[in-house]
Amino acid sequence: MATRVLGVVALIAVVAASLNALFGVPADVNQGDAQRIMYVHVPSAWLGYLSFGVTALAGIGYLWKRDLRLDAVAVAGAEIGVMFTAFAIWGGMMWGRPVWGVFWQWEDPRLTTTALLLALYLGYLLFRRLTDEPHRRATRAAVVGIIAAVDIPIVHFSVEWWRGLHQGPTIGSPDKVLHPSAPGLFVLALVSMVIAFTLAWGWLMLRRYQLARIEWQMEEHGRLGRLSAARRAAQAAAMPPPDGAAEGV
Amino acid sequence: MQNLGFIIAGYGVILGGMLLYAVLLLRRLSAARRASLEIRRQADTATPPSDPPA
Repeated sequence: MATRVLGVVALIAVVAASLNALFGVPADVNQGDAQRIMYVHVPSAWLGYLSFGVTALAGIGYLWKRDLRLDAVAVAGAEIGVMFTAFAIWGGMMWGRPVWGVFWQWEDPRLTTTALLLALYLGYLLFRRLTDEPHRRATRAAVVGIIAAVDIPIVHFSVEWWRGLHQGPTIGSPDKVLHPSAPGLFVLALVSMVIAFTLAWGWLMLRRYQLARIEWQMEEHGRLGRLSAARRAAQAAAMPPPDGAAEGV
Repeated sequence: MQNLGFIIAGYGVILGGMLLYAVLLLRRLSAARRASLEIRRQADTATPPSDPPA
């Protein structure tokens, strides 16, 4: 019931924040209306980070506790993170063409490391398909998820460490959060979109986690069923034939 | 509105993609729940193996 309420609230929040971003906020003086794409690009990038961070933390938790529920959290984070990272790249491309003049530039460190992050977690999802045994799969996936998470801070700080086409963070540091360089209306629209997207992310994570647990329980049931059938077959083979059965042979 | 095509493409893919993923996720969840219930039902109705005669 609570998940349903969260879903409805998230849907209303995303619709309201999107309408505000598209029609409520004035266009930017320099970038024009193309700047409106930032209101979906930035939350997507944030949720990509958050999802992969959750995957890495759940992976660490799994290696520590050996609890398959943490593996279900990890796979939920990876799948949803891949989606939001792809959205961030797409939004950036749609903004980059009218503002920068290009959809993509491989020399830009932020763009390239983000593409690498997407590839790493796509690989994580493919890697999970290599084995059916739940604990072995969870262990291997946890290691891959933790290693791949090294790219998250590299993506985030790439605009400060190297020079490229991508601009620096607008409200990245605590000082910039308190004193943002963008006008208040723009910041409010961006923050409301971040909150709305994060609510939607929470709902998607809960649903994907539920799915992962059911899939794991079904896998486990199938394995136990096969094991039980094999035991019954072994018992039947070991039992002496009933009286009279031998005479017919 | 300037650059309308890019804005529609940006918002359309991202918001539409989220909605599509949510719908597909609910369908996957519903199918998994049905399959899980079916497995449990089959396990409950299956006759347990009889004990071998003493």
